[in-house]
Amino acid sequence: MRIQVRRTGGFAGIERQAEVDTSGRPDAPEWHALAERAVAAGRGTPPAGVPDGFRYTITVDGRTVHCADPRLTEEQRRLISRVLKEGA
Amino acid sequence: MAPGMTTHGGSEPVFCTVVPPHMLDRLARHDDPALSGPARRTLLRDSELRGRRRVTTEFALAAAPAAKAPPQQPLRTVHDARNGTALPGTKVRGEGEEPGPDASVNRAYSGLGATFELFLTAYRRHSIDGDGLPLVATVHYDRDYNNAFWNGEQMVFGDGDGEVFLDFTLPIDVIGHELSHGVTQYTANLTYYGQPGALNESVSDVFGALIKQYTLGQSAAEADWLIGAGLLAPGVSGKALRSMKEPGSAYDDDVLGKDPQPATMDGYVRTGRDNGGVHINSGIPNHAFYLAATALGGNAWERAGQIWYDVLTGGELSDRAKFADFAKLTAKAARERFGDGGAEFQAVSKAWEQVGVRIP
Repeated sequence: MRIQVRRTGGFAGIERQAEVDTSGRPDAPEWHALAERAVAAGRGTPPAGVPDGFRYTITVDGRTVHCADPRLTEEQRRLISRVLKEGA
Repeated sequence: MAPGMTTHGGSEPVFCTVVPPHMLDRLARHDDPALSGPARRTLLRDSELRGRRRVTTEFALAAAPAAKAPPQQPLRTVHDARNGTALPGTKVRGEGEEPGPDASVNRAYSGLGATFELFLTAYRRHSIDGDGLPLVATVHYDRDYNNAFWNGEQMVFGDGDGEVFLDFTLPIDVIGHELSHGVTQYTANLTYYGQPGALNESVSDVFGALIKQYTLGQSAAEADWLIGAGLLAPGVSGKALRSMKEPGSAYDDDVLGKDPQPATMDGYVRTGRDNGGVHINSGIPNHAFYLAATALGGNAWERAGQIWYDVLTGGELSDRAKFADFAKLTAKAARERFGDGGAEFQAVSKAWEQVGVRIP
């Protein structure tokens, strides 16, 4: 499973993106469960968000959903944070 | 529901942009009707609004404040999220209370005060809504959180990760910037997308910079015209996040990339990202303000700032305004307040011409 996260907006307006490929990873099932729940709670179109708030797109195996701060589910927040930290 | 200063009235809690949906779901099933009732109504309203709601109405969904600041006084509250994401978090300092050991809390409290003071003394505006709105801030939001934002009701500050960004309460212009989003929300309510969105961002940079200059007692000639100076961690190649004097020159770094802001319409960036480039193209109106303010000299908040404030609050600026609409109104405001053909009108007209925005 390929999990991509792109973050745009924010006070600085600086974009960040990262990707995790779970194939061969020992913690793949954990990633898959987290990604599925994060995507299930996402939206097909970008939400309005708030001024200076981060906007995110999460793409899992080609399917893209949108979400924005501060209205993230716990799973979305965890997934985004892990991908941006551990991904390449 | 009409955009603008929408209130839901009453004294019951209203969960709008603050409470995440999963928490609302849980609250809605709570045994206590005082908790489940508002949560159910919020969920219902959210589902009704979802789909057709635009950004301007989303963050206009603020609850009516329970209290008002007394005349001429602020009413500040600073909360600590303790590295969580629940807002507003735990109250740690109220109005009139002494400083505590937490520097972020103290900086947020002072920054709220400085912003309140500029709007009151320079523009006779009593708080963000012009009617004594309590000022609320939350510090230590999330972990290593590299951002600050206005959620429609309050300011939220992250600690930064310490590697790229430091604590977002450090630069006073960042605090002023966030609160100025509140002023815009209660006045022109510029749509947060494309050119009106870039104007919304620029207005926050302008008043953020003015709050810093006012606090430091700096004239337009003395000011650095930087946004977010002191926010970048040591080792990052840059002096700030944006420069109103030289947009595009604030940073150039391996990790951050290069400051993408244009100074003139020749460099206008068309993009769907960042809400249509609101933090990119704001460089153009930012630079126009800098040019007008430095051409006039003296304290920037007095004449240039007054003109920008008149446009923002005058009632003629559309929530879908483009740069040229804003420019036209600044020329009109300069004439009306300072006289036809005066130095102010000349400086403002020339500034827009220099950034390539033609006044219709």
